[in-house]
Amino acid sequence: MTRDLADRRGVETEVYGAAEDSRLLAEAAVEAVEPGWTVLDCGTGSGYVGDRLAETRARVIASDLNPHACERARDRGLEAVRGDLLAPFRPGVFDAVAFNPPYLPTDPENEWDDWMEVALSGGESGRAVIEPFLDSVSCALAPGGIVLLLVSSLTGFETLLEYAENRGFEASVVAEESFPFETLSVLRLVR
Amino acid sequence: MKESLMEIVCCPIDKADLELDVEERDGEEIVSGTLTCTECGEVYPIEDGIPNLLPPDMREDATA
Repeated sequence: MTRDLADRRGVETEVYGAAEDSRLLAEAAVEAVEPGWTVLDCGTGSGYVGDRLAETRARVIASDLNPHACERARDRGLEAVRGDLLAPFRPGVFDAVAFNPPYLPTDPENEWDDWMEVALSGGESGRAVIEPFLDSVSCALAPGGIVLLLVSSLTGFETLLEYAENRGFEASVVAEESFPFETLSVLRLVR
Repeated sequence: MKESLMEIVCCPIDKADLELDVEERDGEEIVSGTLTCTECGEVYPIEDGIPNLLPPDMREDATA
């Protein structure tokens, strides 16, 4: 995945397409999820992770802030909900929540104000969306429920790990892949 | 959306139960209708099978 937001522009401005990060998360999630579970693909984007999760015969809910992303998820046959992170979900309903968050650190002077930016930009720190997610996700988890979170080294792996642990999560790395400019990891978080 | 989604979703503002009103149904799928919060009375639309559970201040997003 490239670090430069500008490189992502041009072809697609409405929905973030599946990339290396989506594939790494999907593989780890498929491995972790069991049939009969209720699973949330939070920030589903193109619906790729949700689609892969559906292979496990879990019930998959796909949510996104972006209406175009919700439409694509629904076109894939997923149950789509438009919403902000965990806000529209009842406490204790999910056995697993998978999240490939917007995580690229972005210069506020250099933002473009379209859906692709919403899908990619994690604010100046890269953690502007991940932190509120970690603040609210445990409430939505069923007892024993897990979170599968994609983390990039660009976002500050250690800082994020500490943030998750301070919110009562035990974290382990279940997948990892290195690219020239970043290392992508999938964190498995349990309470 | 399927009617069974009601077991999973709630009002994004106060986490209260929602009440479903169906306008159009296609088999098991609810194509259009509304979800109304039983606590604060906020009404959330269901359009093209997708419930929009954004709080009202986020619903009219300026992003194209």
